[in-house]
Amino acid sequence: MVDTAAANQTSTEDKGQSTASHRKPLISVRGVHKFFGKHEVLKGIDLEVYAQEVLVIIGPSGSGKSTLLRCLNLLETYQKGEIIVDGKNLSDPKLNVDAIRRELGMVFQQFNLFPHMTVLDNLILAPTKVRKQSREEAVQKARELLKKVGLADKENAYPEALSGGQQQRVAIARALAMRPKAMLFDEPTSALDPEMVKEVLDVMKDLAREGMTMVVVTHEMGFAREVGDRVIFMDQGEIVEQGTPQDVFGHPNNERTKAFLSKVL
Amino acid sequence: MCTVSFLDLIQQGLLQLDLRVDIIWDYRDLFIRGIYYTIILSMSGVGIGLVLGLFAGMAKLAKTIWIRWPAIAYIEFFRGTPLFVQIMLLHFAVLPTLFGRSPSPVISGIIALALNSGAYISEIFRAGIQSIARGQMEAARSLGLSHSMAMRYIILPQAFRRMIPPLGNELIVVLKDSSLLSAIAAPELANAARITMGATSRPWEPYMTIAIIYLLITLILATLVSRLERKLDYGRHSRS
Repeated sequence: MVDTAAANQTSTEDKGQSTASHRKPLISVRGVHKFFGKHEVLKGIDLEVYAQEVLVIIGPSGSGKSTLLRCLNLLETYQKGEIIVDGKNLSDPKLNVDAIRRELGMVFQQFNLFPHMTVLDNLILAPTKVRKQSREEAVQKARELLKKVGLADKENAYPEALSGGQQQRVAIARALAMRPKAMLFDEPTSALDPEMVKEVLDVMKDLAREGMTMVVVTHEMGFAREVGDRVIFMDQGEIVEQGTPQDVFGHPNNERTKAFLSKVL
Repeated sequence: MCTVSFLDLIQQGLLQLDLRVDIIWDYRDLFIRGIYYTIILSMSGVGIGLVLGLFAGMAKLAKTIWIRWPAIAYIEFFRGTPLFVQIMLLHFAVLPTLFGRSPSPVISGIIALALNSGAYISEIFRAGIQSIARGQMEAARSLGLSHSMAMRYIILPQAFRRMIPPLGNELIVVLKDSSLLSAIAAPELANAARITMGATSRPWEPYMTIAIIYLLITLILATLVSRLERKLDYGRHSRS
């Protein structure tokens, strides 16, 4: 508990400085509405993500938090409003979607590793095919990343031979191999057995400490509290409350936030 | 009592048949050429059919109706009409009209088998592509791969592995259906049997012979396909 508080303090201090020096948001979402048929899943979302910030989105199932995350790299389309990523407007019909996506790493709930490739090949595919790096360069970077996520000895393994936690760590390394400007995490620990959650969260904490910009949709309240610079609570397609973890978890203002937190904490 | 007399009847019948293997020996060149062309025709047919099927299968999954519609028309026509009719139409009507003269039966045969198997193979491709979970496409796209790159490096290699059993099946079906090409005198196995029967007035020997040859070829193919399937079963060896 003491450890957590201390870590939290240092990390917020770091972030405070860096956020101040990067005033322009890396991602900004303005008045975004999304419909699935007649059902409105996002009801006017406004949101900004600054460089080196860790933004955690929490909320009950069906609140639209994953949908919002998936809109950021256009895995979902939206019908109204605009999203600007790295200075480019996602609503622009002439936009090169692939160019946006390669700047945003994404980690999925179900890992989605490529099962017909070894771990190393999973990591070097996009850097060599999309970034046109040489194989040697990509392999070197991939090995660095595998070491970082603690899987240096698994480069020749196929995904099916790995545990869920190991697969998710490979998936994080795969996204990082593209050297993205920000990482999007879509419930990265929800499909894991409880004993494997920590190893994945630890990798994510390291990333946050290194100053990676992260948007994390999660049910891990401990992570949100400890690592998040800002927490957003979503319910029924709206941002109901946002603020520092201390504010949202310590003194929630909204009744819906209180009700949700009383169930999960 | 009843069975005994039945067996007697068969024995008597077989004796009356008086099977003569020497007929086949006399016409052996015809049958050897038949085996060669049966294999050439069906392999080329399925080979070209694979390319046709890949494009038709992907076109059928396209979002644009102008790409999807021709693919559907092609697939439905060739799956919904008899191969025999397709062979006749192509050899005697379509190809002579297009090129001004009758093509060789081998060329017509390959084209007919390719178009026909392409329609079936497209459905195998479509099912194979759709069987790969959506998450694979999303993961590939999220890394910045274009749709065609994702297809080429992620979806198709996995789909192809799942398609091997149905593709092997299709090859066997085409091999057997190539016998219909005897109707346009393509020099394949059924044609050899037809000529032999015509010349000797003996139906049993030539047709039993090619039945056994077809059976042997399909059994060999089935074995090869299941070996290939096992060989491509990635990941099994690295499990530790």
